[in-house]
Amino acid sequence: MTDKIDTATPSPLKNFGILVLDMRVAYLAIALATVGGAVIASSVEGYFNFVLAMVAMNILVGVGINILLGLSGQVSFGHIGFFAIGAYATGILMLNGVNFWLAFLIAGAVSGIVGFLLALPALRVSGPYLAMMTIAFAFIIEHGAVEWRTLTGGANGLMGFPSPELFGYTLSENDIALFAVLLAGVSLAFYQRLTHSTWGRAMRAVRDSEIAAQAIGLNPLVLKTVSFALSALLTGFAGAIFAPMNLFISPSSFPFFQSILFILAVVVGGAGTLWGPVIGALIVVLLPEFLSDFAEYRLLLFGSLLLGVLWAAPRGIVGTVAAWLSREDPTSAAPGEIDLKAVLGSDIQTEIPLEVDAIGISFGGIKAASNVSFIAHPGKVTSVIGPNGAGKTTVLNMIGGFYVPDTGEIRLGEVISGKPAYAIARAGIARTYQTTLLFEHMSVLENVMIAIRQGNLGVMLADRGDKAERAMAAKLLAFTGYTGPLARLAGNLPHVDKRLVEIARALATRPKVLLLDEPAAGLMREDKTKLATLLRDIAALGIAVILVEHDMSLVMGISDHIVVLDAGAPLTQGKPADIRDDPAVLRAYLGGTEYQGRPRADAWSGEHVAVLTAHKLEAGYGAAPVLEKVHIEVCPGEMVAVLGANGAGKSTMLRAMSGLHRPIDGSVLLNDAETSRFAAHQIAAAGMVLVPEGRQVFPDMTLRDNIRLGAWTRKGPVSDAEIDAIAERFPRIKDRMDSKAGVLSGGEQQMLAIARGLMAKPKILLLDEPSLGLAPSMIAELYDVLADLRDDGVTVLIVDQMANLALTVADRGYVLESGRVAHAGPADELKNDPAIERAYLGHTD
Amino acid sequence: MLLTSAIITGLGLGAMYGLLALGFHITYVVSNTVNFSQGSSMMLGAVLGYTFAVTLGWPMPFAVILALALCGVFGLAVERFLVRPFADRGSNAWLMATIAGGIVLDNVVLFTFGKEPRSFPSPLATDAINVMGVGAYPLQLIIPVVGIVAAAIFSFVLRNTKYGKAMLAVVQNAEAARLMGIDTRFVIAGAFALSTMLAGVAGLLIAPLFNVSAGMGLVFGIKAFAAAILGGITSAWGVVIAGLLYDLVEALTTAFLGSTYTQIVAFSMIIAALFFMPNGLLGSAGIKKV
Amino acid sequence: MTKKTPFTLTRRHVLATATAAALAAMTGIAPAHAADTIKIGLIASLSGPSAKSGEAITRGLTVAIDEINAAGGLLGKQVELLRRDDENNPGKGLVAARELVQREKVAVLFGGLQTPVSLAIVPFMNQSKAVFMGPWAAGTPITQNGAKENYIFRVSAFDSMVGVALVDRAVAVHGAKKPGMMLINNPWGESNEKSLLAALKVKGMENAGIEKIEQSDIDVVPQLTRLKSNGADAIFMVANVGPSAQVMKSLERMNWNVPVVSHWGPAGGRFSELGGPRAKDVEMIQTFTFSGNPSPKAAEMMAKLKKHFPEIKGEADVTPAVGIANAYDGMHLAALAIKNAGSIDGPAVRKGFYDIKSYDGLIKTYEMPFSPEKHDALGPEDLVFTQFIDGKIIPVK
Repeated sequence: MTDKIDTATPSPLKNFGILVLDMRVAYLAIALATVGGAVIASSVEGYFNFVLAMVAMNILVGVGINILLGLSGQVSFGHIGFFAIGAYATGILMLNGVNFWLAFLIAGAVSGIVGFLLALPALRVSGPYLAMMTIAFAFIIEHGAVEWRTLTGGANGLMGFPSPELFGYTLSENDIALFAVLLAGVSLAFYQRLTHSTWGRAMRAVRDSEIAAQAIGLNPLVLKTVSFALSALLTGFAGAIFAPMNLFISPSSFPFFQSILFILAVVVGGAGTLWGPVIGALIVVLLPEFLSDFAEYRLLLFGSLLLGVLWAAPRGIVGTVAAWLSREDPTSAAPGEIDLKAVLGSDIQTEIPLEVDAIGISFGGIKAASNVSFIAHPGKVTSVIGPNGAGKTTVLNMIGGFYVPDTGEIRLGEVISGKPAYAIARAGIARTYQTTLLFEHMSVLENVMIAIRQGNLGVMLADRGDKAERAMAAKLLAFTGYTGPLARLAGNLPHVDKRLVEIARALATRPKVLLLDEPAAGLMREDKTKLATLLRDIAALGIAVILVEHDMSLVMGISDHIVVLDAGAPLTQGKPADIRDDPAVLRAYLGGTEYQGRPRADAWSGEHVAVLTAHKLEAGYGAAPVLEKVHIEVCPGEMVAVLGANGAGKSTMLRAMSGLHRPIDGSVLLNDAETSRFAAHQIAAAGMVLVPEGRQVFPDMTLRDNIRLGAWTRKGPVSDAEIDAIAERFPRIKDRMDSKAGVLSGGEQQMLAIARGLMAKPKILLLDEPSLGLAPSMIAELYDVLADLRDDGVTVLIVDQMANLALTVADRGYVLESGRVAHAGPADELKNDPAIERAYLGHTD
Repeated sequence: MLLTSAIITGLGLGAMYGLLALGFHITYVVSNTVNFSQGSSMMLGAVLGYTFAVTLGWPMPFAVILALALCGVFGLAVERFLVRPFADRGSNAWLMATIAGGIVLDNVVLFTFGKEPRSFPSPLATDAINVMGVGAYPLQLIIPVVGIVAAAIFSFVLRNTKYGKAMLAVVQNAEAARLMGIDTRFVIAGAFALSTMLAGVAGLLIAPLFNVSAGMGLVFGIKAFAAAILGGITSAWGVVIAGLLYDLVEALTTAFLGSTYTQIVAFSMIIAALFFMPNGLLGSAGIKKV
Repeated sequence: MTKKTPFTLTRRHVLATATAAALAAMTGIAPAHAADTIKIGLIASLSGPSAKSGEAITRGLTVAIDEINAAGGLLGKQVELLRRDDENNPGKGLVAARELVQREKVAVLFGGLQTPVSLAIVPFMNQSKAVFMGPWAAGTPITQNGAKENYIFRVSAFDSMVGVALVDRAVAVHGAKKPGMMLINNPWGESNEKSLLAALKVKGMENAGIEKIEQSDIDVVPQLTRLKSNGADAIFMVANVGPSAQVMKSLERMNWNVPVVSHWGPAGGRFSELGGPRAKDVEMIQTFTFSGNPSPKAAEMMAKLKKHFPEIKGEADVTPAVGIANAYDGMHLAALAIKNAGSIDGPAVRKGFYDIKSYDGLIKTYEMPFSPEKHDALGPEDLVFTQFIDGKIIPVK
C-alpha cells in the first residue's frame, strides 16, 4: 500500500522550447516573491518581521514536506522532530561559541542524517505503520530533549543565544527575517529544479507506481530514503533559524501537534505544487493574525478549513486553481519514418538468449507454476499461452523479478533470478502489465524519459535530462504509434494509448528482453493489427519479445515459438502451426476430458418468458468497450452456456449483470425489472446470484456459516435442516460442514460456492468458470451436480472454458467474440460447429 | 509490591488502550481505513456520560446507554463524511480528514462543555480495596475485565450472529459478501459505529479514574494507535494483547527505571518492534499481485 | 517547435501576484489606532485546564484598572487591558508577547501563568526593553535571568523561596527526615527540583527519590510506590491541578497517609472535586487568602469583586485568590512605576519600579519592593499554608 494522498501534478510538460520558457517564468516568480518578501523584511519592524520570518520558516518546512508528500507520496507525522533537532543543534552550538552560519549548516546536516537513519527502518513499512513510526520518532525527540538535560537544558530549554554575526556586523531581527525569506526562496527554486530533474521525476514515478518504477530500473527504497532525508534537511534548516529568531527553545516549543499543522498547511495549499507550501504557510501563519480576536477558535478554524479543502478542492488551493488555469500543450510527436535502431543505439544488439530453466513457485502450498523451461531468442517472438489460471503471468513475474522463483533459475548470460526487480530491469529486461501501470500523474513524455535512464539518475539537480533524451522519447512514442499530445498526463489517456505509452516506456530502457502481459486486451481489432506489426518490428530490432496473450489470432500470427502452460505446468512447446494442431492443447482449452456431461433426458420445454434479458449490454474499462451490444436471454428452468476465448468478455458480462461491474450501458432485466442501476447487493437480493470465478468462499468460516450467508437476503431464520438439505446435493462436502472453508480443495470450494448461491433461492444462478483449475475427476463430479440442478429446474447461466462439457449439459449456448455475440443456438448444434474451435484457437482463414 | 502495583496499573490502563485499539482494528479490516479521531470519540463518550449523569442527573444506566449510542452516531458521521468520500475515489485523504474531524470535535466540545476538567464520580472509584497488599479501586480491576469481556463479546458476536457473520464475510472477501446481498457500505458504517462505541466505553471507564475534559483523548488516542500497530492492526487479539503489553511496559518502566524513561522506552519499543516485525506482533501481510 | 507564446495569464503569474498581494497585505496588519489609551497586556491560559487561574488574574487586573481609571487614569490617559490566550504553550505565549509589545505597544505585559511560557517570553522582553510583570509563574530563573538590564518583575512566590518554605514546613510540622518528590515533567517541576534539593542540602537532608508526573498520567501509583519503598516520610508535590489530583487519588488508593506539602498548583482549579477525599489533606502554599483574612482590605476587595463580577457569590467563587491578589497588587505597582517614569518607555518604567517607595497593597504594605538586585516583591514572610476544603482555600489551622 503506497500512500495516495491526493497530489496535484506539476504543470504538464510542454515541449522543450516552451518548457524552458515556462521554467523561466517559475523561477522569475520565485525571484519576484523572494524580493517582495525581502523588501518587506527590510522595511517593516518588530512584530511583522517576526510574522514574516514565521511564514518563511513554514514555507521551508512546507517545501520539505512537499518533497516527501508531493513527490514521493509518503506521509510523516514526525517532522516537528526534525524541526526540533535543527533548532537544538543551532542553539547548542551557538551557546558553545560556534558561529551561527556554521551552526546552521551543521544543524541542517544533523537533521538530514537523522532523517536518513529514521528512513531506513521506517520505509520498510507503509501506510498506518509508517505513520506510527514517525509519530513515535516525534515523541522520542520531545522526551529526549526533556531528559538529556546536560545537552538540551531539559524542560527549561535554552536561551541567551548570541546574535548571529556576518563579517563583524551583528544581524538584527530584520536581517534574520531577511535571511529566512531568502532561504524560503532558495528552497522553492530547489523544489522547482528537483521536480523537473531526473531525481524528481524518479521520485514521482515511485509515488505513482512502485512496481512499474522498479521495472524501469529505479530503486524505490533509495529514492524514498533520499526524499525523506532531503525533507528532514530542509525542516532542520527551518528549525536552525527558529532558535536565534525565537530567542528561546524548549521541548514545549515543539509539540507533536505542530507536525499535523505542517502537513495541514501543505495539503490545504496543494501537495505536489510549487506554490502550495507558500499559500499553506501564509494561511497557517497569517489567518490567526487577521483573526486575533478569535484566537481561541484558531484550531477549530484550521480543522474546518482542512475539511473544507479536502471536500471541495482535494488537490489543495493551488492544485485546484492550477488545474483550472492550465492549458495543455497540444504538440505531439512528429510521425514519420524512424530508424529505431539508431534511436535505441547499438547496445541492444545481443546474441544472448533468455534461458528459463525449470522455474517454479508456490503460494500458500498451491503450486502456481512448476518446472517451466524455455529459451527466448533475440529477434524472435516467444509466446506463453494457456487457459486461465495456467500460470502465465506468474512466469512473467518471475522473469521480471517481481516474484523470486522457489526452484530453477533464469539466465540472461548470467543468472538473474533472485536479484531485485530493479536490478533485473537494469540487466535488460523490460515489461508491460496486464492492467497498464503508467506513472499516471506524469506526462506521457516524462513517462518515457525517465525510463531512458535505466536507473542512472546522474547528479541530483544538475541533471534534468537533455534535449537528446526528449527527442528520443518523442521518437519512441511516434514509433509505437502514439499520436496524442506529449504533455498529456498518462492517467488521462484512453486505453489504447496507455498500452502504446507503456510499450514505448519499456523500449526506452533499451531492453534485451521485452515482456508483454496481454498487450491486446481491450484493444479494437484494427488496433490489434497495428500492435501485431509493432511487436514484429520490435523483435526485428534484435529484442527477445516474450508475449502472454489471449488473442489467439494475434499469437498465431506473430509468434516464432509458443510455450503452452496448463495448471502451472508446461504442456508443450513448438511452432504456431504445431501448437494449433496439437490435440492436447485443444483439450486444455476446450475441456476434452474423457468424461462426458449428462445431457437433459428430454429437450427443455419451458415457457418462453425470459427471466433474464440482457439488451444492448455494453461495458468496458476506460475507453475501450469490452462488451458491445450483447443480447442474451434465459428462460425459467433453462441452462444456458456462454462460450468464447479468453478475453472475449464472458466474465465481464457476468460481472456487469451481477452489479460488480459499474457503470454499464444498455439494460439488464430480471423478470421485467431493470437492474442496470442496482448495486451488487441489491441485485443479489432481487434474485440474481453470481457464483464468482475463483470460488471466493469465506476461508475462515465454517462451511455451514458460508452456506448460511447465502441466505442473507432472505427473511426469517434459516434452519440447520435446510442447510443440510442443500448440502445433501454435494456429497463431497456434506460431512465436513463444521470445518473451515479455507482448508477445502479447489473443487470442494466450488461445490461450497454453488451451495452458498443456491441458499438464496435465486431466480437465476450465474456460474463463472466453475471448472477452472479443477482436476478432471472433480470436474466430472461438478458437472454431475450441475446436471442435477438443471433437472430440478434451477435456472442457470454458465460461463466455462470447458466449452464442450458446458454444451453437453446446457440447453442453449451463446458464443462471444471480442465482446459481441458471434453465434447463438441450441447446445447440440453449437457443439459440432467448427466456429467454436476457431473462436478459441484463432481464425485460420 | 512495586511489581504488583505496576501490574495492576498496567493491566487497567492497558485494557483501555486495548479497547481503543480494537476500534482501530475493526475499521481497518473491513475498509482498510482508520479513524484517527478515535481519541476524540473516547473523549466524547466521557463528556456525554458526564453531561447526562452528572450535569443533568439522569440515571447512570440510561446516561451510559445514551452516551454510547451518540458515540455510535458520531462513528456513522465519521464514516459518511470523513472517510467514504475519499476512500471511494481511492484516495488516502481520509487520514487527514479524520484528524481534522477530531480537531473540530475537540474544539466544539471545548466551547460547549467548558474548558475546565471535571471529575466524574463513581462508586467504583471511591473506596480502594486491597489486592495482594496493594490498594486499587474496584474500577481498576473492572476495566481489564470489561476490556477482555468486550473483546470476547465482539469475537462471539462476530462468529455467532447474523450481522457479525456478515461483517466477518466483508473482512474475508468483500466482493463475495456483496454477491451474498450484503451491503458492504452498511457493514463498513456499522464497523465505524462499533469502533467509536468501543472508544466511548473506554472513555466512560477511564473518566472516574482521571477526569473529563475536551482535550483528554489526544494522548490516549495516540498511545492506543501505537498499541494497534504494535499488535498488528489486522489481528483483533493482537491489538488487545498489545494494548495490555504497551501499558505494562510503561508501568514497569516507571516502577523499575523511573518515570524519566517511560515515554522514551515505550515509543522506542514501537520503532524497534516494527523494525523486526513490520506487520506487528500478530499481524499478517497480504500477497502482492500485479 | 519554438512557437512563441504571447504573454498570457498563466497560473504562475496569477499565483505570483497573489503571493505578492498576500505579503503586501501583511503590512496592513498595522497598529489599529494611535495611543490614546495606555495599554496593559495579559498573556495567560484563558482556555484549558488552567483557565480558572487566567480568570483570576483577569479579575485582579480588572478591579485594579477600574480603580486607576476612576481616579483619573495614568499620565492623563485611560488604561485598557488586552488579553491573549497562550493555550499553555510557550510558542503561543511568545508570539502573543511579540504581538502585544511590538504591535500594540503595551506599557507593561502581565503574564505567563506557567513557568515555561514565562521563560519563553523573558529573553524577548529583555531584548525589546519592555517591562514584564509576573503575577503567578514561580520559576526562579524568570526574574533571576542573568540579563544585564533586567525588565522582569514579579509579585508572586518564586520557587527558591517556596522550596525553603516547603522543606521548613515538612521538617517543622511533620518531622520529615527523608521526603520524596512528585514533580510535573516540565520546566516548573525542574525549577522546583533544583530549589527543593538546594533547601534540603542546607538542612543536610537526603531525599527518598524524585518522580515525574505527566499531564496525562492517570495512575501514579508506580511512582508513589517507589517513593514509599524508599522510605519517604513526606511528599513535596509540584504540579498543576489535574496531575495533583491524580497524585491524591493514587495516595487514597494506596491508603498511604503520608503528609503532602505542595506548591500552589492545586489552587488553579476545582481541586476539591478532582482530587477526591484526600484533596483536603494537601498543605498548599499561598500568598493570599480571603478566608480567615483579618485585613479590611481583603473584605473591601471581596465586595468589589462581587460588584464587578455578578457570578461571584462567595469565597468558593474567588479561587484561586492568589491570582487575584498578585495581579491586583502587581497592577497598582506597575501604575506607580509608570507615574514615576512619566512615560511608557520601557527603560523609564523599569527605573520607575526601582523608585517606588511604599504601597499599601492587598497582600501587604510594600516598602521599597524593587531594586536592581531584587525583582521579586514578595518574600518568605508573605507565604501562608492553606488547605482546599469544599472548594474554598483556607489557612491551615
